[in-house]
Amino acid sequence: MRFRILAAEAWRSLAANMSTTLAATVTVLIGMFLVGATIGVGTWLLSWSDNVERQLVVNVYFCRALSCPNAGDAKQSEMDKVANQVSQFPEVRNVDFVSREEALDIMEKRTPELVAGLPSNPLPDKLKVTVRNGRDVFVLKQRLTPRPAGVESVEYGGQTARKIVKFVALIGAVVVVAVLLLLLASMLLIANTIRLSIFSRRREIEVMKLVGATNWFVRGPFMLEGLICGVVGAVAAVLLLFVTKTVVVPALPGDVESSSGAEAWPFVLQAGVLLLIGLALGAAGSGLTIRRFLRI
Amino acid sequence: MQDLELKSPELPAVEQTPTTNGLDGFSAAEAAMILFEDVTKVYEPDVTALNDVSFVIEKGEFVFIVGASGSGKSTLVRLLLKELEATKGRIFVGGRELTRLKRGKVPMLRRNIGCVFQDFKLLSDRTAYENVAYALRVQGEGRNSIRRKVPEVLSLVGLADKMTSYPDQLSGGEQQRVSIARAVVNHPPLLVCDEPTGNLDPDTSVGIMQLLYRINRSGTTILMVTHDREMVDKMRRRVIGLEDGRLARDERRGGYESE
Repeated sequence: MRFRILAAEAWRSLAANMSTTLAATVTVLIGMFLVGATIGVGTWLLSWSDNVERQLVVNVYFCRALSCPNAGDAKQSEMDKVANQVSQFPEVRNVDFVSREEALDIMEKRTPELVAGLPSNPLPDKLKVTVRNGRDVFVLKQRLTPRPAGVESVEYGGQTARKIVKFVALIGAVVVVAVLLLLLASMLLIANTIRLSIFSRRREIEVMKLVGATNWFVRGPFMLEGLICGVVGAVAAVLLLFVTKTVVVPALPGDVESSSGAEAWPFVLQAGVLLLIGLALGAAGSGLTIRRFLRI
Repeated sequence: MQDLELKSPELPAVEQTPTTNGLDGFSAAEAAMILFEDVTKVYEPDVTALNDVSFVIEKGEFVFIVGASGSGKSTLVRLLLKELEATKGRIFVGGRELTRLKRGKVPMLRRNIGCVFQDFKLLSDRTAYENVAYALRVQGEGRNSIRRKVPEVLSLVGLADKMTSYPDQLSGGEQQRVSIARAVVNHPPLLVCDEPTGNLDPDTSVGIMQLLYRINRSGTTILMVTHDREMVDKMRRRVIGLEDGRLARDERRGGYESE
């Protein structure tokens, strides 16, 4: 019963202040659409760079008489020891032993004409080490300094790896800042709408207090107004995002979506997050204004 | 409201005995309706609006508050409604001490005080019926009882045929009747009127006063702030005069000016 009255009052006020209501809802819609798009693109980028990071590989090359004149060919026991040691490191996800014959096979597949001209196999045996995190390549390099016996060199993507790791951090920071700014703007716009609504209903508020409305009864419709603005804006944004997703994503070049196994958040999760944010924005926006402008 | 007769009697000079009314929410049935005890109100920094004012208004009384502009009449009304806090002294309404009333209880206080103002304070986007119903709805009254009470009180104030009119389709006197209907629909034991006839012509004012008189006859205590000299002189009721925030006179059957 009470809620029905509150809802009726809120609806009445929304309808009476159609233009400001519409303005607020559309702003929430734009803000939320951008937030949604940022989340979509942002999570995809994060997942993409995560994938790239995951593919960072550290190669541990073993000695050959050619390359290590002092030590000569690495002994099998040395290689086993290093492989064993490396696989114990917490940063290491996977260790693969690639023999020089296998390495040559791989090279032959890639560049057959080059291999055809070789008199003998110049390649060393190696360990192909995959790390858990992009950063870990540096750690691994550190751990293998000084080089254990039988190891000729430890190599990784070097500069490229460093750049990718920085890039990922940067993307994360930009996404967070952009989302925060958009949320703040949406909240302030809702707050402003509620303020206009409070001003345009000064008389009504005065009468309410006069006839003994409880404070919550006076506040209720305004709270509800804010919530409705936030939720309607969010729902519209979700719909718009869905349309955009179905139209834009298939139009992208195929490899963007399929390469590197990157995935954005599932759409349902994203929609849920947007709705929650819309609700929170509405509550915060109207709460803010009611505290300041609705002295009861 | 059943005590209110629908006949309109002549403006009376009849002494009336206080009757008790539905004092829902008000405790201490034997207490006076309003008690001001050495009340002082200072607006910061140094404007003294009321200075050491004391008086008692019994249940069922009809009291005029008169005084020049700035004499403290409006401050007195706002103190009664707890829109303002007294700087010093104590105020009791229906046995409740306002200064000790918690903020959350203020709405309950206001439900027991009907208010009528010079500018009516009606909502222009609602009909007469909705304006009155609004007061009840705000107080959490059920739909059925609203449907029953609103037409009843509107016909009581003589607007049975104007229920669906909007305020700007009504004359000043009719608008004031709507606002009186809104004030009394909940049977408050106390009705506070702040210059209810201030915007009305003399003939219309007489009609409003007759209505207030009838409401008073049903047992509702009425406190009326006014500048209407003629009305006060004709009614010969208790008059409390304020001058520069002080209680200048309190006469049982006074006129607008002291004799």
